[in-house]
Amino acid sequence: MNPILDIQHVTHTFGQHTALQDISFSVQQGEVVGLIGRSGAGKSTLLRCLCALERPQQGHILLDGVDLTTQPERQLVRIRRKIGLVFQHFNLLTSRTVAGNIALPLQIAGCPRKEQADRIAELLELVGLKGFEKKYPSQLSGGQKQRVGIARALAANPTLLLCDEATSALDPESTSSILNLLADINKKLGLTIVLITHEMDVVRRFAQRILVLDHGRLVEDGTLLDFLRDGQNNRTLQTLLADIRPSLPAFLTETLASAPQQGHNKAIIRLVLSGDNASEPLFSALHEQFNVRTALLQGGVTTVGEHLSGDMILSLEGEKTEQALSHLKTAAQNMEVLGYVPSHS
Amino acid sequence: MSPLILKLILHSTWQTLEMVVASTALSVILGLPLALFMIATGPQGLYRLPFAARLMGMVVDAVRAVPFIILLVLLIPVTRFIAGTSLGTEAAIVPLSIAGIPYFARIAEMALREVDSGLVDAVRAMGGTRMTIIRSVLIAEALPGLVTGVTVTLITMVGASAMAGVIGAGGLGDLAIRYGYQRFNTTVMFGVVVVLIIMVSLMQVIGNSLARWLKH
Repeated sequence: MNPILDIQHVTHTFGQHTALQDISFSVQQGEVVGLIGRSGAGKSTLLRCLCALERPQQGHILLDGVDLTTQPERQLVRIRRKIGLVFQHFNLLTSRTVAGNIALPLQIAGCPRKEQADRIAELLELVGLKGFEKKYPSQLSGGQKQRVGIARALAANPTLLLCDEATSALDPESTSSILNLLADINKKLGLTIVLITHEMDVVRRFAQRILVLDHGRLVEDGTLLDFLRDGQNNRTLQTLLADIRPSLPAFLTETLASAPQQGHNKAIIRLVLSGDNASEPLFSALHEQFNVRTALLQGGVTTVGEHLSGDMILSLEGEKTEQALSHLKTAAQNMEVLGYVPSHS
Repeated sequence: MSPLILKLILHSTWQTLEMVVASTALSVILGLPLALFMIATGPQGLYRLPFAARLMGMVVDAVRAVPFIILLVLLIPVTRFIAGTSLGTEAAIVPLSIAGIPYFARIAEMALREVDSGLVDAVRAMGGTRMTIIRSVLIAEALPGLVTGVTVTLITMVGASAMAGVIGAGGLGDLAIRYGYQRFNTTVMFGVVVVLIIMVSLMQVIGNSLARWLKH
């Protein structure tokens, strides 16, 4: 199947500063992709290139088979109508009502007035703002404004939805509801979504696939599970993952030793589980098979997309701890021994 | 107050209003496109033409640098060419408008510059044409500020029209000078001042409430 979005060797510089360097990736129809990077990593530039506001100096961007980088401005105006954009600061027109804001892309596309009203009602229903037609943006909360922003982005039936830090200006509760809404839209409409953010927590909860941008380069492309598995050896990933991974409490770090000694033999491990593994009765299995007492110190099991995923720090104590550890090494997606602490702690 | 004085004041008020409203209308009609031109050709504009933007800015500043009383005299040939005469109320509308156009253009430029550039980006990204951006974003979003600008221009024109007596345009200012000052008629002087205060206050109140109503 041809990808809906195909980025080939995109490079873009501002004077001396290289914002993007040889970026290549493709996105399939219906995929939800999180694009993450710290500020200055080149996210905004890449976004402006993707929505045809900026023309990259080198490389090609194919949207549904059409190369954005070679189209004249007149054609780009048309192509931009096929890309929905959701902004961090909503960018709603304060002079227009909710309905007026959603109508704008329809007016631009030359949609007849009668159809506009139906489409607006349909979109407001979809984003959960039924009956808000006549309100002005200044009367809405942040989360509601973003819902209007999403409705507006969807109005002209885009082939691609780009979200630029869409939740970064929102409180945690609104963030969750907006992410749920986006996931819902992806499922209902089969719409391809690219979510650009600096928050790992946002992509963790939302994206099936994560792209990591660092200093203008695409350094990683994979699922969160891949990252958790390979995270130890990658500095960029480590810093990003640090936000969302459980970390050892300070009082345990102080007494941590790298090898077991007399009276210092409680193993502390980091365990990554996914899929069916994450719902197994792990603790009782360890007890039955190895007579090992297991305690959960940090972390737990969460859902990533549609799957369960476990990322936790455990302590194991008992005669057959070493056997239990080697069992976990093969059974779990990733197991890392962090060290040993005194058995009484 | 004698009926004669009342009649004089009434007549002059009408002349002043005629000059103020006509010149403000022309200032807005011609000043707004000028402001849009300066914004659009400016550094972050939709049609980047830095040289044209700078040239236009210089012309605007040059006109604004000349005191109105001097402009009034300086423009007599132009007034005669446009209005057919250099004397009278209608003729005074020409120099008043020429002073008002760059004045309103600068105020409108400021109001347009206040519009969040994110909104322009948003509508560009939607596939909006430049005309759509100018109409639906720039003008629509700056409307409360533009209305305030119209109010300020109206009031400035009230002040400027007082000088138009120099070219025989009449009006309240002219009345105050001829009767109140040169003939020591304090009643006329006070009458004129009271009418001016009421006129300006009304303009301000109406302008403010209109701007507030437009600002959702």
